[in-house]
Amino acid sequence: MSSSLFILDEDLEPLVSKNIRAIPNLSSILSSFKQCYHRGSPPILSQNGWFFIHLKRDFLHFISVIHATDKPNIDLMSILTFLEQFYHLLKKYFEINVLSKNIILDNVLLVLELVDECIDFGIVQVTDPSIIKDYIRVKVNLPKVPIESDEWSSDDESSDSDSSSEYSDSKKRNKKKNKKKKKKKNGKGKNVGKSKIKSIMVNNKENKGNNVVETVKQTLRSKSNTGRNSPDDELPNDGNDLYINGDIAKTIIMPISWRTKGIHYSKNEFFLDVIERVQYLMDFEKGVIRKNLIHGEIVCRCYLSGMPKLKISINKLLNKDPQFMSNSKFHQCVSLDSINTIEEEGKDSDDSGSQIATDTKEIEFIPPDGEFVLCQYELKRHVKDAPMIKLQAFEVKPKPKKFKIQIVTKIQTNFKPTNSTSKLNIKIPLTKVFQDYKIDLSKQIRFKANLGKVVFNLSDDFLLWEIETMKGHREHNTGTAPQEDNASALASMVAEFPLFNQEEYDRMQEELKTSMNPPPLRTGPKLEELYKQVHEERLPHTHDVAPRDKLVSVDFEIPYCTCSGLKVEYLKVEEPQLQYQSFPWVRYKTISDDEYAYIV
Amino acid sequence: MSDQRVFARYKANEIVTDLQNFGVKKFKSNTTRRKNALRKIIANLTLGNYGEMSLLFSELLKFWQIEDDLEVKRICHEYIRVMGVIKPQQAKEALPFIMDDFKSRDEKLQMMALRTLVLVPLREFSDQAFDCIISLVNHKAPPENVTRMAIYALLDLDEIDHERVLGLSSILHDIVRLQSSPPEVVVAALHSLYSVHEKNANMEAFGISLDLAFNMLELLPELNEWNKATVLEILTTSVVPQHYLDANEMIELALPYLQQVNTYVVLNTLKFIMYLLNYVDVIEESLAEKLSNSVIALLDKPPELQFLVLRNVILLLLSRESSLLRLDISYFFIEYNDPIYIKDTKLECLYLLADKETLPRILEELEQYATDIDIQMSRKSVRAIGNLAVKLDEDSVHDCVAVLLDLLEFGVDYVVQEIMSVFRNILRKYPNNFKKNVKELVKHTEVVQEPESKNAMIWIITQYSDIIPNYLDLFKVFSSNMFNETLEVQFSILNSATKFFIRRPTKETEELCMDLLKGCTDQENNPDLRDKAFMYWRLLSLTKMADTSNTLTFEALKSVIDGELPLIEMNTKLDPTVLEELELNIGTIVSIYLKPVSHIFRLNKTKLLPPSPVLNPNKDLLPVVNNSFSPTGANRNRQNSESQSSTKSRRTAMMDDYDKPAEKINQLKGKRKSSSNNPSKLSRKPSTLLRKLSMKRPFS
Repeated sequence: MSSSLFILDEDLEPLVSKNIRAIPNLSSILSSFKQCYHRGSPPILSQNGWFFIHLKRDFLHFISVIHATDKPNIDLMSILTFLEQFYHLLKKYFEINVLSKNIILDNVLLVLELVDECIDFGIVQVTDPSIIKDYIRVKVNLPKVPIESDEWSSDDESSDSDSSSEYSDSKKRNKKKNKKKKKKKNGKGKNVGKSKIKSIMVNNKENKGNNVVETVKQTLRSKSNTGRNSPDDELPNDGNDLYINGDIAKTIIMPISWRTKGIHYSKNEFFLDVIERVQYLMDFEKGVIRKNLIHGEIVCRCYLSGMPKLKISINKLLNKDPQFMSNSKFHQCVSLDSINTIEEEGKDSDDSGSQIATDTKEIEFIPPDGEFVLCQYELKRHVKDAPMIKLQAFEVKPKPKKFKIQIVTKIQTNFKPTNSTSKLNIKIPLTKVFQDYKIDLSKQIRFKANLGKVVFNLSDDFLLWEIETMKGHREHNTGTAPQEDNASALASMVAEFPLFNQEEYDRMQEELKTSMNPPPLRTGPKLEELYKQVHEERLPHTHDVAPRDKLVSVDFEIPYCTCSGLKVEYLKVEEPQLQYQSFPWVRYKTISDDEYAYIV
Repeated sequence: MSDQRVFARYKANEIVTDLQNFGVKKFKSNTTRRKNALRKIIANLTLGNYGEMSLLFSELLKFWQIEDDLEVKRICHEYIRVMGVIKPQQAKEALPFIMDDFKSRDEKLQMMALRTLVLVPLREFSDQAFDCIISLVNHKAPPENVTRMAIYALLDLDEIDHERVLGLSSILHDIVRLQSSPPEVVVAALHSLYSVHEKNANMEAFGISLDLAFNMLELLPELNEWNKATVLEILTTSVVPQHYLDANEMIELALPYLQQVNTYVVLNTLKFIMYLLNYVDVIEESLAEKLSNSVIALLDKPPELQFLVLRNVILLLLSRESSLLRLDISYFFIEYNDPIYIKDTKLECLYLLADKETLPRILEELEQYATDIDIQMSRKSVRAIGNLAVKLDEDSVHDCVAVLLDLLEFGVDYVVQEIMSVFRNILRKYPNNFKKNVKELVKHTEVVQEPESKNAMIWIITQYSDIIPNYLDLFKVFSSNMFNETLEVQFSILNSATKFFIRRPTKETEELCMDLLKGCTDQENNPDLRDKAFMYWRLLSLTKMADTSNTLTFEALKSVIDGELPLIEMNTKLDPTVLEELELNIGTIVSIYLKPVSHIFRLNKTKLLPPSPVLNPNKDLLPVVNNSFSPTGANRNRQNSESQSSTKSRRTAMMDDYDKPAEKINQLKGKRKSSSNNPSKLSRKPSTLLRKLSMKRPFS
């Protein structure tokens, strides 16, 4: 129950302020926040009798202010959760990935309206983007140069694997189609709206003239409402408000609050993506696995008409995987007891010996329209489970006699041979090598890799080994070492850096002094100078190597494969009234988490 | 256009010229211009430019009359809300316009108007607000959104006119009891009632009947996430189970919500269940497991939320002698990219979770943090090791000490300081176990810098002077520089010098002691130190004269100055009543500070467990059983036919499904198969076409 809400920029200057409980001087509150805030302060602060609950996202601060005498029992969790959700809501609304100061400034009124819609007198009501989007239809004031957002979306598409690009294409097409359809429908809505009025007029001709006038007025007003949505831009969905809002105004109140009535798509499709992020951290020297986790997400995009009822069965649920059962979280639309009571019934059936099968576990839900996250789960992998991408060897071999140092890296895949990675980058830190050895960058660096290519990042001291596709491989139970012929499953890379050779250097200098020849001509960039330039600012070399400079991190993406072995057994779409044919699509993908690394 | 130009401080007259641009011609461009001017007003209000903006009042009122545009209205309302507090007289002028808006048919406008009425703290405004609410309630079929908002508005109005809100409360009671309104309205009414009861100290705690509570729990699946959480929140402490079975059944109804995505719902469910667990006879093992799992899953959230969850984990760990939660310690290991506040809290959790079994792993982790680059972190972890040594029993101490000695060898300056400080505590608890290590410690006499570690070092030297041969030399490192030390170090130097003298009254010690006493009494300005020196001096001189007047014997003196110290204990437990209150406040601000509500919010009521025949007097005695007793079976006997029938219907539904073949999924693997072509083919079939056409009709 906040007293006021702020959105501040990086310098703690206000962008949006919303006075919820009529506080006289908001700026004084803000200054007391500035007094107590410092970097890394915990999410709750108090100063001068005010409590500040703040969240920092994308360089913006979301702050909720509460007075100590204000209300009993400040429900911190609701406020924090709300701020978090509100942030996501804004992102969805503006259709961008990262919020910026400018976009907030461009849409102050919209943000204020969103706050109004989300909370009544400080009590959170609804934060579901799909519902609010139907309710508040103010046009987002995006920057006129749409390149940015385009870029982002194309990025998004390209991050999909090559082989699935067809799929994404089709998706695009579908989206376009949907848009067209929507337009058509809108047009229809308008017509219907008009005809409605007509019919009312006819009906009421004799009875109440007043009524007619009123209805007409109402329509006129709502038309002017749509007009104000975009004063200098004609809206494609003109007249839409009249038709849709009549229904949608009730949605917040309806029993199924996350889906509106009257949704229609000509092609009924349902996309389900299972995306698993694998988090893995291993101490390579000690051979200790620090972390081996899977963060899974089932993301759905729903383009289905009417009020469909979906049933999804997942092998994990069928097998009653206890870990999955306890570590999964579901979207609010999922009727949770459809998952849990069945469990009970299973128990009961054991007791009574009735015929109820225990394996009818499924997720039952009426989906919201558009994109949503159906389920999130977190699974721990066993220590013995081999990682998807395994670092076989990492060695720094100095060869002082040859004045060279070699970095040998070998990796191995460990998943079904039928799958292959669509992206595989390995980042090898060099900070320590550069600290421990004197590396002569004026001579050539050599890389040898049987797969992919190697790039040397001079400024941040790392090697990036880019292997795009690498085939899967399963180690056999016999435990024998991987055969040499299975080269595609084992990639190795050798990077060779020259070491500084004092003797040779002296000799060269001497020669330069004595001989008349000009110094040998060198082509290409002079790495040693660049290196010096870049590293000059960080001269005060501490001998400690930052923890992240000790990580060989792996960044990968494997389509059609789930690390946990999760599989959607079946997906049923039922719409009792319309009974249309629907097209469910299921896709799997395993990607690396931010933290997939080996400490070396 | 971009609004960035709008977002700057403006003078009132600049905006006025924009506003007054009432051309008949170029109507459209003028509207946008005026609208921009209005936007500027809002931007300036955000920037706190109230003085200038208040001049625009009359201009704005003109607009209100003319414009029918929602956006303009919104700005006007926003303006009144902000200005109403500052310029009450002017705000009154706007009252008729607000009422006009309320009487309009547009729900949005009505809500806007009502909000403004409530938010301007003026008598006239709140009077109108009450009238509006009453008229809404008496309306036969009021629009639900507005009703819901009106009910929430009562909450705010309660602060202005409590009596009148009380008068309306019977209506709210009716809404809750009849359950005929839409669920959201019911929740709103319930919430308002609850909050009004909570807020006013003179009203008794809000209570609802068991039947109603069950009704609300049955309603949960239909509510959206925020309302789910609200209901669970209200039910905590409001409903009092009268029998074990009540509590068990309610737990079962609430249990699925531990699996929601929304953290708030999960935490409130947790709170509700924790509350109900005070009224059960046994706790099932599986329940404890579910609770633990949901807590662990909550840890996978953004840092701010994680922080709150961690603080509540601490609370839950403290709440019982042997915690109900089964948490693996690895979840609390610190990541290098955690924010500081998370690191701190995780350390605290680790400290609380430590026991004989987990100690080796925790020590290994802590040792690693101690060698961290982050100085604060490494200090804190050393301290944690020391505290663990004191907290745990004698067997574990040796492990902790071994780690500390390892770290001592590591020899980083600040680590040594910290080790000294914690070692004093260990020695105070186990005076005789680590005598052989003392010599190792005193090697670092020269290194200690900070007052606390100096104090600790001086204490160690003094306490173990009998086994340190060169204790006086070591001591002189500090005493020679006494007058540059901080006060606390000076105190302990003085104290130690006196102790040395009493223990072994030789020439050397006497000299040392007298020098210091003289120094303190002659040169020192601080009255406390001087007084302390005088006191020691008097004591010493009294004993010297003891032969003549038997005022103080030498033994008595020794016991005064160099007495036996009591062993120390680590006390992490909170007062049980405080704990009880905290447990009912999971997820609120008090759970962060771990202090009773009354310490932080003076005006608030203290939540207590309501009495009931089945309330457990001591929850530590509650047995945790492994599924020996199935509450579900017993539940069925209860006369709650509703829940039974609903499960039955579900069951039959399941059976139907079982017969049907599972629909196939289109796998998106590889190339698209012919299945992708199907839709176009299908849509050409006349039957599908027909269906399509029929679907085009709007659904009503």
